[in-house]
Amino acid sequence: MDYNNDERYWNISLLNKWFLIASLLWTVSMIWMFIDDNDDEFKYYQKQYYSILKDKTEEKYNSLYVEVKDIKETLELELENKITKMQGQEELLTLLDDSLITKKNNFAQLSIDFKAKIVEVDVAKYLVEKEKAEHSYNEESITSQNFKKLSLESKILKKQKEDFEISIAYFESKIENLGQDVKNAQSNRDTELARLDLLENQLDKLDRNRMTMSNKVADIVRDLPIVDFLDPRLKIQQTVVHDVKYDVNFATVPTVDRCVSCHMGIEDPLFSNVEQPYTSHPNLDLIGSSSSPHPFNEFGCASCHSGRSRGTSFTSTVHMPSTHAQQEEWEEEYDWEKMHHWLQPMLPAEYSQAGCFKCHTKQPFLEGAEKLQLGISLIQQNGCNACHHIESIPNEYDVGPDLTKVNQKFDKDWAFKWIKNPQSFRYDTKMPHFFNQDNNSSPEMVDRNNAEIFAITEYLYKDKEYETIDNEDEFLGNLENGQKLFNAIGCMGCHNINEEYVEYSPETDEYDFYLSDHGYEEGETSNYNLLDQQGPNLIGLGSKVSAEWLYNWIKNPKNYWEKTRMPNLRLSDNEARDITAYLLSFKNEDFENQQTPNLTSQSFDKDLDEIALGWLNKSFNYVEAQEAFNSMKDENKIIDYVADKSIRYYGCYSCHNMDGYEDAKPIGAELTLVGSKPLDKFDFGHIHDIQHTNFGWMNQKLANPRIFDRSKIVVPEDKSRMPNFYFTQQEIEAITTALLGLTDTKLESSKIADLDKSAQVLSGYKLIRKNNCYGCHQIDGEGGKIADSIKDILPEALQMEHRNYAPPSLYSEGSKVQPEWLFSYLQLPYTIRPNLQVRMPSFNLSDEEWNSIIAAFQDMEDNELSFESDHIVNKNGTKYKHGFELVSDYGYYDPETDEIIDAFNEGSRCYVCHFEGNVPPGKDFDITNPIVWAPNLALSQERLRPEWVKEWLRNPQHYMDYTKMVAPALYNKCPECFDSKLSDLEYDLLRDISDNKENPKWRTGEDIDYRLEAITDWIFSIENDADISNTIKEYFDKNGYKHFEEEEEDWGDDDEEYEDW
Amino acid sequence: MIDLFKEFVNIASEPIISFTALTILFPLLFPPSDWFEKVHYKLGFNYIWTNKGGIAMFILTTIFFILGFTDPYFSIILTKPDNVPIILMIYSMLFVIWYAMKKAYINDSRISNGKKPMEYNDPEDKVLVWPDLVYIEFIALLIFTAFLIVWSIVLAAPLEEPANAAATPNPSKAPWYFLGLQEMLVYFDPWIAGILFPIFIIIGTSAIPYMDINKKGDGYYSFRERRVGIFIFMYGWVALWLYLIVIGTFFRGPNWNFYGPFEWWDPHKLVFLNNVNLSEYIWVFMLGQQTPEGSTMNILLREAPGFILVFGYLFVLPILLSKTWLKNMFLAYGPVRYAFLCTFGLTMLSLPIKMFLRWTINLKYIVYIPEWFFNI
Repeated sequence: MDYNNDERYWNISLLNKWFLIASLLWTVSMIWMFIDDNDDEFKYYQKQYYSILKDKTEEKYNSLYVEVKDIKETLELELENKITKMQGQEELLTLLDDSLITKKNNFAQLSIDFKAKIVEVDVAKYLVEKEKAEHSYNEESITSQNFKKLSLESKILKKQKEDFEISIAYFESKIENLGQDVKNAQSNRDTELARLDLLENQLDKLDRNRMTMSNKVADIVRDLPIVDFLDPRLKIQQTVVHDVKYDVNFATVPTVDRCVSCHMGIEDPLFSNVEQPYTSHPNLDLIGSSSSPHPFNEFGCASCHSGRSRGTSFTSTVHMPSTHAQQEEWEEEYDWEKMHHWLQPMLPAEYSQAGCFKCHTKQPFLEGAEKLQLGISLIQQNGCNACHHIESIPNEYDVGPDLTKVNQKFDKDWAFKWIKNPQSFRYDTKMPHFFNQDNNSSPEMVDRNNAEIFAITEYLYKDKEYETIDNEDEFLGNLENGQKLFNAIGCMGCHNINEEYVEYSPETDEYDFYLSDHGYEEGETSNYNLLDQQGPNLIGLGSKVSAEWLYNWIKNPKNYWEKTRMPNLRLSDNEARDITAYLLSFKNEDFENQQTPNLTSQSFDKDLDEIALGWLNKSFNYVEAQEAFNSMKDENKIIDYVADKSIRYYGCYSCHNMDGYEDAKPIGAELTLVGSKPLDKFDFGHIHDIQHTNFGWMNQKLANPRIFDRSKIVVPEDKSRMPNFYFTQQEIEAITTALLGLTDTKLESSKIADLDKSAQVLSGYKLIRKNNCYGCHQIDGEGGKIADSIKDILPEALQMEHRNYAPPSLYSEGSKVQPEWLFSYLQLPYTIRPNLQVRMPSFNLSDEEWNSIIAAFQDMEDNELSFESDHIVNKNGTKYKHGFELVSDYGYYDPETDEIIDAFNEGSRCYVCHFEGNVPPGKDFDITNPIVWAPNLALSQERLRPEWVKEWLRNPQHYMDYTKMVAPALYNKCPECFDSKLSDLEYDLLRDISDNKENPKWRTGEDIDYRLEAITDWIFSIENDADISNTIKEYFDKNGYKHFEEEEEDWGDDDEEYEDW
Repeated sequence: MIDLFKEFVNIASEPIISFTALTILFPLLFPPSDWFEKVHYKLGFNYIWTNKGGIAMFILTTIFFILGFTDPYFSIILTKPDNVPIILMIYSMLFVIWYAMKKAYINDSRISNGKKPMEYNDPEDKVLVWPDLVYIEFIALLIFTAFLIVWSIVLAAPLEEPANAAATPNPSKAPWYFLGLQEMLVYFDPWIAGILFPIFIIIGTSAIPYMDINKKGDGYYSFRERRVGIFIFMYGWVALWLYLIVIGTFFRGPNWNFYGPFEWWDPHKLVFLNNVNLSEYIWVFMLGQQTPEGSTMNILLREAPGFILVFGYLFVLPILLSKTWLKNMFLAYGPVRYAFLCTFGLTMLSLPIKMFLRWTINLKYIVYIPEWFFNI
């Protein structure tokens, strides 16, 4: 078109072209925007998830199909049979149907007649009543006659009607019964097929190939932009956790957890072997599933794992790589980058258990949180919390020994060498290394440190002299016997003696380790392995202490160190001498031969002066410092000053009790909230090649505590001084896990665990750990390590059942014993299990502490009763009598030999193993064998709780899986049979329903509870001496613990029948 | 070679060097007087405002940024979504200034040849709103919308988590358009840099039409006809605003230290800074005694030199100038316009003066009364 462009400033056709280009650009950008807006990462994962789900369901369907196919055929055949059978009864059915219809027709007529008759009766009744009211009533009147007649007629009709109703119901049920078989067969088939249908329906929804055309289109359309607000398949899955808050500084908002948008299979056990992100949670019984204690919809994921739960992509949720290698892999694969502004990055999988501590602060020793537990144990055992205050893991005892009386224990030379290099004496000591570390191994620093150590040593021995002892023999007994005693009586519950050590090389090169020159413990660190490290590894004592000191120490540790956790094993003088001889036989000659500088003030003069001046100049100006220095010099107090400054600098008093430092403050940074400490508050110094994360920093700090001083110019007084504990990679990971759990996450009380437990109970739990009850006793499946060392000293025949000769499991202790008895027992332990050589030590705890411990045991069993009435047994009652008969009459069934064993030595068969007061099993010390000895039954009355005894008798192995106690045979007799003796024939008949657990009828019968209670009554009626310690002690003093010794086999001669036990 | 160049750039971009260079170059780029113009032509700076100069400027800037993108440190800074607008700003500002100057130079030569400026139109010749105006506006709208959409897709918005007083970022930077202000805070007390200056900038720029009595150069590009005005404005705009934004964006790192573009932002970096107040210079260094402290009189006595200096700068200097160097201007503008012009002009000029005083003699404050929270 010829267009007049004269009046236009611009060329319109050119503008049109520009307009076209601009419009195209705009359209393209809008389309791009739509694509970008809808191209979410989670959608990709959900698509994958549904395709895996489809495959899995198909698989399940196919296997079920095969399974159902066979059943289906039989079921359908049956259905057909029934139908044919019913068809054979066609005639009868027709007949019945006809009769029913006739009856129904008749009934219809009759019911109309009946309704009319009722109205007629009512009318007649009205007329009669009217007459009565008008006083013209006459019995003979037509009205009254009529009323009577009609009433009668209506009754007859009613009767007839009811007859019909009955016969209709009869015919109907007849007809229904005829079809019942068919119906049953049908429903049988349908139930089987329904399982298949269910899967098929699921498949129809998942598999587009199975869909109709219109459904297929709908399935695509529902996920398109804009319409996807209706019912999309790919959508964000979220749960709002109202009681876990995220702090936005001026307000808190509930956690919105969207992790499941990608981790779609998290709750589905079907997905346990699928790769991330579809895999199910590894511990669904504990976490995630709706039946677990931590269902996903109440807890979400980020409450424990941290991270940015609102995010819907890999990066925006702040997944955190645990190593550099993983980081590189993620950067490659997911374009991962760290979101710096999110203060709670996700815990890498290694540290997940840190999340448990957010809620389980009060009682963090949880099954399933072993790493966290290990971390906390290590923090406590190594005294991290002695220098670093941690609110939720308070420091409750001195980790190191009392230093106020060291002059009695070892000499100055030893002390100097020890402080300087503790591991050269004991490679696995908990005393950390302050010296010869990354930032103080230069020659000048070594000189300075030597002077400091010298000053500290001088302080320890100030006004005290080392008493050299020459009458050592007086305290030395039999070495071999000492070794036996040491291994048997319980020392090994807390100590071990292990001179073997291994070289350690870290599994990771991520961190710069400063390793020990003196080796590491063998084996991995676990909660269990820590149990016998409660006390030191007792090597090298011969190069350390005098016999007198050691003798006195093991006789009564509290004399030397009032607050020691070491209990008293009530050793006799001879026993103590023997053990002393044994322990002193270990020597460390390398340590003895170590050269020390000349330990006199003169040789350290120059360094001491320098150190003193350095500290003075830090606190005072030059003039004052010089004046103070001069006056100290005059009074010869430089060394005291240096000692004081050094002790305060290194914080010796944090772990040790020292004169004059009772109120000194801990020296480390508080770690109460270290898990929430912002990353930029960590001083990475000039170390750039480790991960820039809080866990990266912690790991490096623990691997080499002084490394962040590297490349820095720091005066000695300001150098970092955290000592090196020479942790292994595994220990570091556990400690870091615990530290990462120390956060300031805001939680509602509904989420915090153990709020219902009293302070007493909680402190009881702590005391049980503090005093290492777990070292000897197994409690709820945890601990009991001493059994391992007892196993080593048993003869081979007994090794399989070694736990019978170790301290008992304390499972169910809280419901087992009476609290009053437990209280008195713990204060003054005596013999309960006569066959044990290992002793319950005397812990010198306060009443308050014992009460807490008892309360904790009761809490484990939800038993809240501190006081209970005595269980009174009526010895004239039938129940007691039945009990007596049950334990005495029939012997017991031995499943191993498949034999019925007769009652032993008359009376109760319980006395085969159990003591009755001072009376030994079998009534004679000469014929009995200590191996089978079981607790004194006369003690039960005051010790046990009848409810527990009853359950114990029901299944002893439930309470102690290793026990040799057999459940008493409870013959399945009728209660009336109790009074009459059984014949031999009856006896045989009853055999296979006795103690054989394999037998399905084992201990069945309605009156089993009655019978268990009867036996309990009998046990509680036994009256005799409760404390048999002296009898037992006498016996073993005379005979020795021969049965625990391999060589001598004379114990088997008399009692051959027990050999197979 | 490249390393050497980078090292050179790192040193040269140090504010004291780069700002001084910019200030010295400025009158040569925008010559405000005949003498400068002579030098300007002699040195060939006029070629910048031609097509060739423009292309050269574009290429040089681009080479610099390409070098920056290949540098491990500078690329981190350049590619931050927050900083991308600054790169766009540098290009667009260079372009519009160059474009205006090019046109102005063409017009200037036309006018000196007695011709009309290029934009001159017959007053009778009119252009229609539709389609001539609205159509191109619409096209521009579409293109720009497309551009913004693509930008928002490609670069995610640099949103951060809720502010947390316990975890402040280091460096803590204002939005890019306020970085000039933040840079001023380095040299001035907040009430001046954060309150007084912004108000003056707003009022001052609004007041320009009322203070402008030059009737030439209206409706067409020209430089010569209003060269002093353009020079002053461009100095304020380019050197005291855009330059400071660029510095604040690219060159300020942890602890607000200065880092060259090719330098790693080492958080441990420490720079010697020992700032001294004017009162200390006078009392301690010149008079050899401690500064008077305590009573109000003493404070005023202590800060008297500063007050005198400020008073002289703002009130005496304009009067002196009106009698001498700016006599003609005073007469042309009249006392009211002159007073306002001086107030705004001297305030603007105080910024580079203070910057140079800081860099040369470490001057902290001219008037320093922490007792009253009053510092200049």
